[in-house]
Amino acid sequence: MSGPLHTPLCDKLDIEYPVVAFTHCKDVAVAVINAGGFAVLGEAMHMPDQIAADIKWIRDRIGGKRFGIDLVLPSSVPAEKTVDELLAMIPAGHREFEQKIKKKYNVPDPKTAPDIHHWGGLDQKRALQQLEVVFDERVPVFASGLGSPAFLLERAHQLGMQVWGLVGKPRQAKKLIGIGADGVIAQGFDAAGHTGDIGTFSIVPQVVDLARGTKTSVLAAGGVTTGRHLAAALALGADGVWTGSLWLTSRESDVNLPLKERLLEAETEDAVWSNCISGYTMRTTRSPWHDEWLSAEAPDVLKPPLQMILSSNYIQGSLDYQRKDLMTEAAGQGIHYVKEMKPARQILSDIIEEALDVFDRFAAKG
Amino acid sequence: MSSTASPPRVEEPPFRRGFDPARHGRRAECDGGRHVPGTKFAGRQFFEGTLTGDYRDFGPYPWRWFLMTSLTKKPAGYGHEAVWCDESSLTLLDDD
Repeated sequence: MSGPLHTPLCDKLDIEYPVVAFTHCKDVAVAVINAGGFAVLGEAMHMPDQIAADIKWIRDRIGGKRFGIDLVLPSSVPAEKTVDELLAMIPAGHREFEQKIKKKYNVPDPKTAPDIHHWGGLDQKRALQQLEVVFDERVPVFASGLGSPAFLLERAHQLGMQVWGLVGKPRQAKKLIGIGADGVIAQGFDAAGHTGDIGTFSIVPQVVDLARGTKTSVLAAGGVTTGRHLAAALALGADGVWTGSLWLTSRESDVNLPLKERLLEAETEDAVWSNCISGYTMRTTRSPWHDEWLSAEAPDVLKPPLQMILSSNYIQGSLDYQRKDLMTEAAGQGIHYVKEMKPARQILSDIIEEALDVFDRFAAKG
Repeated sequence: MSSTASPPRVEEPPFRRGFDPARHGRRAECDGGRHVPGTKFAGRQFFEGTLTGDYRDFGPYPWRWFLMTSLTKKPAGYGHEAVWCDESSLTLLDDD
């Protein structure tokens, strides 16, 4: 296949379209791959046996096509305390503020209390155990959603795997390109979840310039939800796009229905950059929890992981009782264009059609 | 919270200690961060400080981590005086 949408990334991954879906849902991943795109499954939360099971499940459904697994590699780790020590560090005033929010919005207690004693743990050990599965399974593409994959690149290449890294700064990209990473995801401030503070239109061409003349592919990320975004990313020199929010409301997505409805209603200004959920700054959809922590009477947000401990009952309660009015989810600023609950296959084909229209329009003017 | 009892302490991951005199006293920045416990999210954190030269190697690759102290930049509310940083997430300031 040739044409304006056929980039070196398509050859590298043996795909039709340079669109990568980042998703936590296996069904979405399979649907996108079978429709001619590429998918990377986020497995940061999962234990090694679950990751292995998910890989098998995907392989059984994509007929030898390639796929990717994304993990979060830690890049800084403080000294840990026990959970009980952490609980004791939450000030009484913050507990009172949490209770006030729960009372004001009638937030139900979760059916099962969040199991905070099994959160996190020893970051390096957890990551190493997850990585062993990825290596054992020779996953075609390993993507690091946060830390640098430099230390594992040689082994991955020996096993015939590609290694990608997600960056928010040009200097992070420069390091990855310098060590021979196969792909760099240049993620702009528009993106969901943790982002750098550089906008997509600014970071993508800088990373493209850094990768020029190398074998590293550049994927544009952050706010990519339409074919016009895809066309723009290719015009900036990217080899493809990395998309996330786009797939949350797809028919295949396992996001629960009220939350899908909330996401379909969300506008760009609802995708707020705040540290009130976890203590880390991330982009999530606005909820009463956000509004209250932005109010003048709110106490200072606690450091991680105390703020996550504080917010966990609110979040779990909203999910357990399907309270759309309380729910929040990571979503990027491109959420404005996510307005229908379509099959993933159709989402992909709509993007492709729109991008081709853009190129046809420019060709006609030429 | 309904959970009140802590499980036994998890054993420390096996690592090999070492000291790199070439890194001792070097000022550096760390594009840090980690998985946000209990979620599918990650969080970025930025640090600036001085490397002691102490390191720990994890896993078979090895995956090297340096100790940074005398932190001059750290996330708001960061409650520790030091941080372990992945080697490839460090930028030595004198090299810029």
